[in-house]
Amino acid sequence: MNKSMLKITAFGVAVIGFYIYITMYVAGLSGTGGGESAGGVSPESGEKIFWGDGQCSTCHKIGSSGSATRGPDQDGLSGRAEERAKELGLPSGLDYLVESIVEPDKYIVKGYDKIMPRVFDPPIMLSREKILAVLAYLQTLGGEPDIGALMKYKDKIPEASKKKVKPWVPPMVVDAKEGEKVFFDETRPVTCGKCHVVNGRGKQVGPELTGIGAIQTPEYFLESILKPSAKIVKGYETMYVITTDGIPYNGLIKSETEEEIVLLKEESGEIEEVAIAKSDIQEMKKQDVSIMPGNIGELLSVQDFYGIVSFLQSLK
Amino acid sequence: MNNLKILLNLPKRSIYSVVLLFFLSIVSFLPLSQNIFAADAPAEAAKEAAAPGVELPQFEAGQAPASSQSPEGQPAGEAGTATAAVEEEEAGPVQYRAFFGIDSRVIVWIVSELHLMFAAFVLGVPIFAVIVEIVGFKGGDIKYDKMAKEFTKLLSAAFATTASLGGLLGFCLYGLYPEFMGHMTNVFAPTMYIYALMFFGEAFTLYGYYYSWEILKGAAFKKWFHIMLGVMLNLFGTGLMFITNSWATYMMSPAGVAPLTGKLLSLSHAIYNPLWMPVNIHRLIANVCFGGFVVGAYAAVKFLGSKSEEERAHYDWMGYVGNFIGVGALIPLPFAGYWLGREIYSSSPVMGNIMMGGAFSWTFIIQAILIGMLFIGANYYLWLGMGRIKGSERYTKFFKYLIFVIFMCFAVWLTPHNLPLSGEERAMIGEQYHPFSKYFGVMAAKNAVVNLIILATFFSFLIYRRSNKGEMMPFSEQGKVGKVGIFSGVIFCLLMLVSYAISLNFVELEANMKVFVKPLIRALYIQSFVICLAAYLTFRNKGKLGQAILFAVTACIAVLYFWYYGFEVMQKANLVLRYLSVTQVSIVMSCLIMNAVIDIFMFRKAKLVGGIEWGKMPVRSQYALLLLCVVIVILMGLMGFIRSGLRMDWHVYGIMQDTSQWAYTPSLAYMGRIVGLIVALFLGLVAFVFWLAGLGDKKEKAKEHEYGEVSAGYED
Repeated sequence: MNKSMLKITAFGVAVIGFYIYITMYVAGLSGTGGGESAGGVSPESGEKIFWGDGQCSTCHKIGSSGSATRGPDQDGLSGRAEERAKELGLPSGLDYLVESIVEPDKYIVKGYDKIMPRVFDPPIMLSREKILAVLAYLQTLGGEPDIGALMKYKDKIPEASKKKVKPWVPPMVVDAKEGEKVFFDETRPVTCGKCHVVNGRGKQVGPELTGIGAIQTPEYFLESILKPSAKIVKGYETMYVITTDGIPYNGLIKSETEEEIVLLKEESGEIEEVAIAKSDIQEMKKQDVSIMPGNIGELLSVQDFYGIVSFLQSLK
Repeated sequence: MNNLKILLNLPKRSIYSVVLLFFLSIVSFLPLSQNIFAADAPAEAAKEAAAPGVELPQFEAGQAPASSQSPEGQPAGEAGTATAAVEEEEAGPVQYRAFFGIDSRVIVWIVSELHLMFAAFVLGVPIFAVIVEIVGFKGGDIKYDKMAKEFTKLLSAAFATTASLGGLLGFCLYGLYPEFMGHMTNVFAPTMYIYALMFFGEAFTLYGYYYSWEILKGAAFKKWFHIMLGVMLNLFGTGLMFITNSWATYMMSPAGVAPLTGKLLSLSHAIYNPLWMPVNIHRLIANVCFGGFVVGAYAAVKFLGSKSEEERAHYDWMGYVGNFIGVGALIPLPFAGYWLGREIYSSSPVMGNIMMGGAFSWTFIIQAILIGMLFIGANYYLWLGMGRIKGSERYTKFFKYLIFVIFMCFAVWLTPHNLPLSGEERAMIGEQYHPFSKYFGVMAAKNAVVNLIILATFFSFLIYRRSNKGEMMPFSEQGKVGKVGIFSGVIFCLLMLVSYAISLNFVELEANMKVFVKPLIRALYIQSFVICLAAYLTFRNKGKLGQAILFAVTACIAVLYFWYYGFEVMQKANLVLRYLSVTQVSIVMSCLIMNAVIDIFMFRKAKLVGGIEWGKMPVRSQYALLLLCVVIVILMGLMGFIRSGLRMDWHVYGIMQDTSQWAYTPSLAYMGRIVGLIVALFLGLVAFVFWLAGLGDKKEKAKEHEYGEVSAGYED
């Protein structure tokens, strides 16, 4: 190898070396370290998991970040966890947080349903390290993170299941793409997209369904389409309003001020807004009936019905 | 005798050959070894995988799958004492195989990335080889033809390596990931036959193109036939890439299959999945960029080893052309990348969040560093290149401003959205993000500075072009060609801008969101007006003023205004962000296209201040070319990791899960080491292959020397 080739080789090696150094430096800066996983137990990686592959944001918002209402708003969670722990006789707020993740049905916040999945099981399958990272992030919501204390709970958190998701097989050959078309097809008597947003498309009357396939099962979708009132997502309960003139209204509250409420009500398959002055309201109460039409099963062909279920299942 | 000397010098001259032989001998042993392990699969592992309720997408109902991999991921041969009868009864299809306990994924990672890098070179270079050949043929300049042939010579040498690595990759995938490849074969089998046929087509046209070069010289119809061979070569190459892209993108955004069973419903949907076309376009441009920079580095190596002025002049010119092609393709690449990113978001918001806000967001800091190095290196090379052009002194005053702009943009691009803050720091600041730096970390800021870097680089190129150009012929005296050229440029830009502005009127958004689209429409119309104004000024012999106004307005709209407006949209109407970015890209592209067209025709018949002294380049300029090559190779390795890694622990996202022990996402530091190794292997192999391709030249040159032939001179 002549001198110029040696210099060129040395230059190439130096550039590659610089790149490797940069990746190590950024790894340190990001808190991912040199470990096996991209995360590491830190509030920063936990925050990313919360809004990313942990799917937490599908059901929880944090203050003004996010819009999900299926689960409780996590703003100031750390402080509330301490209070809840005292009420329940647990040693610390951290115990409450850990147990709420390991056994989601154990402590249900009043007004919410048992809908939280076990995040270490399919389809979310968060690793133990990632769950710890999320816990570290939750500690920062109204408190200070204590990674040392957190790591003592390591063994209480199960490792992610490596079993495959038991596949749901529709009883006929359907295509999720076709299901998507049906979902947004406004020429039909019923259009899901008129009330649900998926990936920024559609209208937000009912709950947003972006990423729903990652947290709900096909059975849940089947039930929700055929019996919409069986499980109503928190915040989407129908309100029954009767005015002083004796006119009844059923609908979702879109907005509420001191003077009036705006109801979204369904009329012949279309969603209409109705503003009612509070002074005109004689009675207002929550109902156990969903605003979603209960006859969707009759309005869809079987092929379209399973196509929609497949489409929802594909939203991961 | 010369050949004997060369062979004797082999070990001295290329240490890479030894590395290559060692590497190939190791990997060629792979498939055999896998079979040995597979035969010893443990019954426990088979039972584990064949547990009730576990079904695999590609198997028929009732056929239980099994694995040869133990739950802890130990090599299968180390465990299991069950009898052969039990094994026979319970062992089903194999999911994964290991190779001496080595991470199967790393083996596939290295081989596939090497294959991709060679393939990028083999697909990118013919595109510009044919263009250079056409330019040489139409212009009657033999040096273009020589260079196109030299490119093709490198191509034919690299082709065999690409094919070998492709074969090796296929063996590795089928050997180490049999279940996954079973699924892929079930879905894509017909395309695999087409792929093989097209591969024949590419091989025949490539070798036909190269070996018929001298035979098809002379008469015009012969040359056109040769060019047609080159075009066919490109069509076959592009077709091959499109087919393989459908496989790779299907893994990210599967379509055309039943999501839960993996059963194929529509092959056309599986091929034309949501990410197929964005990846096709991105790779097509990236391959040209990659090929350009690799050719530039080849020229730099040759330049540094040159012993005569003629050689230096030739390779300096080749390096310039390589860099020009590389930078030319680099400029639209961020736009294509943005489109791809947007489609990733659209096809899976979760994947999109993982990419930009999750585990992979930090990789984009590294990407920013690499792209920054590319732009800085390319600009630096152009500025150094102006040193060999008489008359360039008039423009050197701009360098300091360009350096300032590029470095400032680079700094903004590097700023992470949320710098990790300690609890104490958060308490001091009073909020989660840094009150100042957070404004530079969001996408609105990054999009703005990327556009400014592109505009600055384009400006560097314009002043390079003008360096040896003096007094211009008034545009009005240039005849029809100039007028038609400018008019065509205007029509093209207006079609792009106005059609998009009209389409924005019909986007399906709620009324409260739609108001945020109006400023975008106005910006597109303003830019359309400025394009017309620039053309009008050019017709009135004030083209430079027209260019300056176009630059200024573009910078004001696409950089300054959209930087500010991007924040507004992000806070109040996030859905509009996608339209904003396309508007931004369209405005910048229209500026580049119109300015280039004006510049070409304005200086068409300008007097030359002085010629270009090819070969009079400082050594450091060649290291800039080498830097560009190494960085683009690293960048390709990094982006390959990101694209593939976004699937997290899924072979086929949402359909077929990766249950192997290597399903975790590697850390950034680990990724850096692996990509570094891949880059070193690739560059070593390239050096070796090019060295092999040059063996014939040495003999030719010795002959030329003997007959006292003199190389042609190189002028602008």
